[in-house]
Amino acid sequence: MSDHAHAHDDGKVHAHVSSFFFLCAIFTALIGLTVITVAASRFDFGSANTIIAVLIATVKATLVATFFMHLKYDKGFHALIFIMSFVFLGVMLGLSSEDVDSRGRVDTSSTVRILERRGEQAPGGFVPDPRGVQAREHPTSGASQPAHH
Amino acid sequence: MASAHADSEHAEHAGHGDHPPYLAHHFDTPEQQFDSAKLGMWVFIVTEILMFGGLFVAYLIYKGQEPAIFIEAHNRLDWKMGSVNTIVLLFSSLTAALAVRSSQLGKKNETTMWLTITILCALAFLGIKYVEYSHKFHDGLLPGRFFTAHLPEHAHNGHVLPQRASMFFALYFMMTGLHGLHVVIGMSILGWVLVRNHRGQFSPEYFTPVEIGALYWHLVDLVWIYLFPLVYLVG
Amino acid sequence: MATEVAGAHGHDEPDHLAPYLSPEAGRGIKGWLLTLDHKRIGLMYLVSTLLAFFMGGVFALLVRLELFAPGRTIMSAEYYNRAFTLHGAIMVFLFIIPAVPGALGNFVLPIMLGTKDVAFPRLNLLSFYVYLFGATFALYSIISGSVDTGWTFYTPYSTTSNTSVVSMVLGAFILGFSSILTGLNFIVTIHKLRAPGLHWKRLPLFVWGTYATSIIQVLATPVLAITLLLLAAERTFGLGIFDPALGGDPILFQHFFWFYSHPAVYIMIVPGMAVASELFATFSRRAIFGYFAIAMSSLGLALVGFLVWGHHMYTSGQSEFATTLFAALTMLVAIPSGVKVFNWTATLYKGSIVLTTPMLYALSFLILFTIGGLTGLFVGALSVDIHLHDTYFVVAHFHYVMMGGTVMAFVGGILYWWPKMTGKLYDESLAKKGWFFVFVGFNTTFLIQFIMGSKGMPRRYYDYLPQFETYHKISTVGSWLLLVGFLLTAWALIKSIRSGEKSPPNPWGSAGFEWQGTESPPVMQNFRVTPTITRGPYDYHLCSDEELFDGFPEDAEK
Ligand code: HEM
Ligand SMILES: [Cu+2]
Repeated sequence: MSDHAHAHDDGKVHAHVSSFFFLCAIFTALIGLTVITVAASRFDFGSANTIIAVLIATVKATLVATFFMHLKYDKGFHALIFIMSFVFLGVMLGLSSEDVDSRGRVDTSSTVRILERRGEQAPGGFVPDPRGVQAREHPTSGASQPAHH
Repeated sequence: MASAHADSEHAEHAGHGDHPPYLAHHFDTPEQQFDSAKLGMWVFIVTEILMFGGLFVAYLIYKGQEPAIFIEAHNRLDWKMGSVNTIVLLFSSLTAALAVRSSQLGKKNETTMWLTITILCALAFLGIKYVEYSHKFHDGLLPGRFFTAHLPEHAHNGHVLPQRASMFFALYFMMTGLHGLHVVIGMSILGWVLVRNHRGQFSPEYFTPVEIGALYWHLVDLVWIYLFPLVYLVG
Repeated sequence: MATEVAGAHGHDEPDHLAPYLSPEAGRGIKGWLLTLDHKRIGLMYLVSTLLAFFMGGVFALLVRLELFAPGRTIMSAEYYNRAFTLHGAIMVFLFIIPAVPGALGNFVLPIMLGTKDVAFPRLNLLSFYVYLFGATFALYSIISGSVDTGWTFYTPYSTTSNTSVVSMVLGAFILGFSSILTGLNFIVTIHKLRAPGLHWKRLPLFVWGTYATSIIQVLATPVLAITLLLLAAERTFGLGIFDPALGGDPILFQHFFWFYSHPAVYIMIVPGMAVASELFATFSRRAIFGYFAIAMSSLGLALVGFLVWGHHMYTSGQSEFATTLFAALTMLVAIPSGVKVFNWTATLYKGSIVLTTPMLYALSFLILFTIGGLTGLFVGALSVDIHLHDTYFVVAHFHYVMMGGTVMAFVGGILYWWPKMTGKLYDESLAKKGWFFVFVGFNTTFLIQFIMGSKGMPRRYYDYLPQFETYHKISTVGSWLLLVGFLLTAWALIKSIRSGEKSPPNPWGSAGFEWQGTESPPVMQNFRVTPTITRGPYDYHLCSDEELFDGFPEDAEK
């Protein structure tokens, strides 16, 4: 029907058969990388710890996906959607941690001061900005002039 | 839409007039059916990645908020057991890939062997997890309101964990629990594939279920590849 | 993953050349409940989603009735909270998300693709049963104490409310899987099962829209699943993930929830747009203007829709930086919607417009969705939304898109494909009367809510200040007009089933693939001969008169 643009047009299944030793070699590489991850975790690289671990894990995941899951010999579209799933995950992580990391960083010239870094301080636990309090005490003057320098 | 040709003609252009028993009636060719199954599985893998991804995002965000507590808490996990489990899973991934290979080559008995080993590895993984879980239960390292490791009777080398460490264990149990559930599901799928292989339903022309089952199993492995370093190792 | 293996069938094997509604195509109740036929599954979805629409509608009428007068009118505040929650949850999870893909998509998509079925027929049936299973949880929740958190299940209230939150949340969780399975099935079907000659540039826009929807379903729904699972675990085991006392962050729940639910508003509207595109082309009798732009804008919505979720959280305590960023990104989503609206309008321009009932719904869709989309920009603008958030303005905004957009398109789609689905015509003058009440009733109910909201009437409130009374009264009367409209429409359809005239294969004279080469109703395998596609779905200039108006396969046989 539609995706028939390739060489074999006999309608049979043509899948790549990996060699036994090649698969074993990939497995060995995976074990090697596992040893490296564990070894790396014995050292402290500070904030790079997580990044290093994720990088090694990504190399491992790439090996598994490319060779065990045959992505290398498969339709490019499968690789694309596989990568896209990580891209969207990145969007989720990026935009939500961007909020969490910048919370409580308030523009002091504005009359609003909302939650502190962690949500727990929310109900009454935060330190109100003096100017914020002032603005609330004089709603008519404060509300229309959000920022006075 | 202007032209249409008769079904028999179409069938001829598609295959050689024969309709193998494994080919569903709405597919023209075995290849089309195989490609559909694979695309379906890859799309499904995407959904799984995003589902686990949600947990990873929560984990990373909370870890970033209380790094000290998370480091203290993660030291209570047994990285040796985690490592052994990693090796078990990686090995089972290898045997799953080998099962696909042998079924592609039509070697039924070899396929049976590799599938059996894969399932045994899954059982071993669950066994080790069970041991780990029972230690955590024993030490009161439980999520939320069941967390008791901050009480003096659970002191570890004279230390107790802060109560806030319950968050780490909430995430630990959600992540490993959901992963464990996937191990069980993957095991059942492979078991079903094993039965069908035993009945001789696969051939070099039709090995789709082996391929699909193995893809699922590799996914289970992929999740663990990230879970293990992030939860067990990174301080 | 279900891969289909056609085992040896007994004599229960359906006759693939019998009309799909006939007993030869599947006998008795078993022939329906165990069917693998996409058309029968589509009809089962249609019936169930319409039932859900009815249930959600009853709760809506109750909510409006309570608000007819200030103070207590018919129910206590506790029951009011439950009523609006159930209205929202049922309408979103049980009706609007599965409606167009499940009912119309299942029925029409494979026919448009010129194939016999979807790629995974068993998975398709499974998704229907998963839907029913999820619905059972939701119903159980309703009778076992119900829910009063709002359809958004915001923490920390949802983790502390003593209503039956867990079963509703599990219901929504399960319904999500049904949605994922449908989306997955459609993606594979569109990629792998197109008829010879049907390349991507000839795909009907309904298919493009369904494709975009499926992508969102597959990418976003798993995140809802994990969020709801965490919420259920939080309630049952006291996990603490969203509990500030244990170091959790309730706002993270909102992030997770809206990471799904903003894309989900596109799961709701894109199928509506997809239906409307078909209606505009057929009833303007011309090639759709900007085919490529409409197709790509669906994909654009699907992708950009993932970047803007924070606009639901401007006042939640989200950081100012995030708020600003999301406000800027939100402006992006208006672009693809605008592209569509302009192209539909251009399609109408100098078309030979036929004002059939489906077209009336399509035109209503165009007007109402434009209002809904534009007010989306108002509430998307940060400074404006600080004032408008959680007021009736937002209520009006999303009803204009969801009801004015999707529901209008859905009803239009049902009326458009009805002759194909049932093989019967319906009484157009009655259906038009129904449309009139729906259109007038809708605007009476919701237009006034923009004003009410901008004047400060908060949403989800049981009681209100006296100055809002007239607005509320008008809105409630509008809801009764809506009821009349839907009852008339339902009556037209019931009458059609009971005594409707037999429909010809192509009663609307459409060039669309689903009307060509199939009978009304289609046979079990859709086409007697596998079609080869040689033109686009809107190429009226390439159609012979016979293709559009007579020369139906039936006639040819005689
Ligand atoms: C033109 C694109 C759109 C924009 C820019 C937009 C923007 C917004 C914004 C900013 C809000 C939050 C308002 C507030 O709570 O203060 C909102 C609410 C909402 N929108 Fe839209 N929207 C758009 C299209 C849609 C569509 C197509 C749908 C559904 C089919 C939809 C459904 C909703 C719903 C259900 C809510 C309320 C959710 C709740 O709080 O319960 N929107 N929209
Ligand atoms: Cu939104």
